[in-house]
Amino acid sequence: MIHTAKRKNMVFYIIKPLLIALLLFGLFGLVWFRSHVVTLEYNLSDLEKKKIECLKERKMLLAEKANVLSFRKVEASLSKNQGFVFPDRIRVIHVKKQKESLPHKASLDKKRLIEP
Amino acid sequence: MNKKRAVILSTAIVFSFFIVYLRLTDLMILSHKRLSEKAKLQHIKVEDVHVRRGIIVDRRGRELALNLELESLYCDPENLELDNEGTKRLASAIAKEPKVILAKVPAEGRFAWIARKLEHDTTERVKELHIKGLGFLTEAKRFYPKGELASHILGFVGIENQALEGVELRYDNYLKTTGGKVFFRRDASGRTLSSGVDIEAKGNNVVLTIDEGLQYLVEKELDKAMVRWRAAAASVIMMDPFTGEILALANRPSYNPNSPGSVSSSDRRNRAITDCYEPGSTFKIIIGVASLEEKVAKQNTVFDVSKGSIDAGGKTIRDVHKYGILTFKEVIQKSSNVGSIMIGMRLGKERLYKYARLLGIGEKTGIDLPGEVSGWIRLPERWSGTSIGAIPIGQEVAVTPLQMLRAYSAIANGGFLVRPHVVSEIISPKGQVLASLRDKEKKQIISAKTADTFKDILKSVVEEGGTGRSASVEGDEVAGKTGTAQIINPKTKRYSKEKYVSSFVGFVPADNPRLAMIVVIYEPKGQIYGGVVAAPVFRDIANQALSYLNIPRGKDIYETPLLVAR
Repeated sequence: MIHTAKRKNMVFYIIKPLLIALLLFGLFGLVWFRSHVVTLEYNLSDLEKKKIECLKERKMLLAEKANVLSFRKVEASLSKNQGFVFPDRIRVIHVKKQKESLPHKASLDKKRLIEP
Repeated sequence: MNKKRAVILSTAIVFSFFIVYLRLTDLMILSHKRLSEKAKLQHIKVEDVHVRRGIIVDRRGRELALNLELESLYCDPENLELDNEGTKRLASAIAKEPKVILAKVPAEGRFAWIARKLEHDTTERVKELHIKGLGFLTEAKRFYPKGELASHILGFVGIENQALEGVELRYDNYLKTTGGKVFFRRDASGRTLSSGVDIEAKGNNVVLTIDEGLQYLVEKELDKAMVRWRAAAASVIMMDPFTGEILALANRPSYNPNSPGSVSSSDRRNRAITDCYEPGSTFKIIIGVASLEEKVAKQNTVFDVSKGSIDAGGKTIRDVHKYGILTFKEVIQKSSNVGSIMIGMRLGKERLYKYARLLGIGEKTGIDLPGEVSGWIRLPERWSGTSIGAIPIGQEVAVTPLQMLRAYSAIANGGFLVRPHVVSEIISPKGQVLASLRDKEKKQIISAKTADTFKDILKSVVEEGGTGRSASVEGDEVAGKTGTAQIINPKTKRYSKEKYVSSFVGFVPADNPRLAMIVVIYEPKGQIYGGVVAAPVFRDIANQALSYLNIPRGKDIYETPLLVAR
């Protein structure tokens, strides 16, 4: 009987501080978690601002690219500096594109004959 | 004594708590609404969603209209510290007069725009002035990276990004989008926390049928023609004759949509669809098609035009040259007015009118651009005595260049009247195709046989002996028709002897048409004939366009090969 009471007492003495520690840890965890969420929100907000800035920059670059790659500018630049010319159609030969270029095999010839 | 002290202390504590309770009641119940609103204002930052119009791209996805993010300068008049010296420096930075700036600052209020959508350099210059009470807000500015190119198709927007012309206006409902507000939490130092939502709302993107490369070729040649012929104006439209897709459309004079206010409204007019002209000989397609369909004439039916003139309702109409006896084919090939009127007389006004309407004369083509006009042809019962002599040769009727091109496209495609359009797809910001306008309706208006026969006749126009010889493209057959028409002098109400409209309309390659095109030059100087003024422009554009499209030539011409294309 005495043994049991002693044991209960021991459990009580261990569990009580454990529960308090757990409660404190839980409270601390909650506060830490909340503060971490807020910090993340700040970071996210900073990243969003950066994203907006980057998108703004991207739009400017895209516009610049579209402007630089306009036919008028490309032709002016290439014909003056590089000596490029618009191809004269009369001097262009169109060659029919081969479906496939396989090494010649006698066995393939027969197969090709029956293909539609 | 101790008890007394205890009572006093207790009373003081209770009283203190009572005061606190009263204050809390005031804060939490009586002033709750006002204070919570105030707290919201301090902790919540409200921002407008950045509304951005959708972009416009050509058929190959090249950007033609984009958005830039620029800063707009505003002032807070209550906090503005702007002395004379500061005003001068600000005026110099934004390149405006000091009095213009002062006029924009109201005596009271908390917000007024000083200058909108400033360039980056200007923004930096203003920031360096450190003037208290000035601030910047980011705004979207529509930017057309290709400048003048395709300006009459694209149109433009106003300072508030409101659509004012062209595709911008016609497809405004798709391009624009609605905004709203985004709420951000912020701390005492003003730092905001993420709202978790996208602050930018984008409109749908529009894919055009035009090709930047073809558009450039057209505009380049049009500029050359304007200089060469010192013309008052000009229009060129290039279309796929089978689908009605507009591949290029250009007018001169033109404008830069980035600064539309720098030219007159007349220069911003899309003449290809808003201006009517008397088509002259290109209108002979009507008598040609009608007589073949109604079996009034065949290719080899002969007409005696040796007199060189014909009387129609008391008015004598002459040919440019005396021809003798011509076949029906030669009447069109040589563009004989006398022969055409003879055919018109055989057809009669009812049938002439019927076929003009069938080929789309006097009605809008339905192109998806604003401002199109329907042209004009009188009902047969309202024709005058001279009308039967005028209408077959393209007088007393008013057409737009696009109407004529559509009529000739019907010959190219085997007898179908297509609906011209400039937009092929509307795509959501996430890439989903919301509408595809590729397969527009088309109706058969003439038989394929008639179309084929008339195509042969049109081919002869560009061959030796035809009026459109200079439209011929090396390596391919061209089918087309020249037109030269006098312009009515608005003062005298008579045909001017100096002012003409020269045109050429046709398609290439004739037997497997890939491009249908019309060239209209208004008031050329030095020469007036469509075959001399407009036909070479057609040839130069067609030559380069076929090359650009990598279309193999129809005929073999042996020259030194430059490129081998697969």
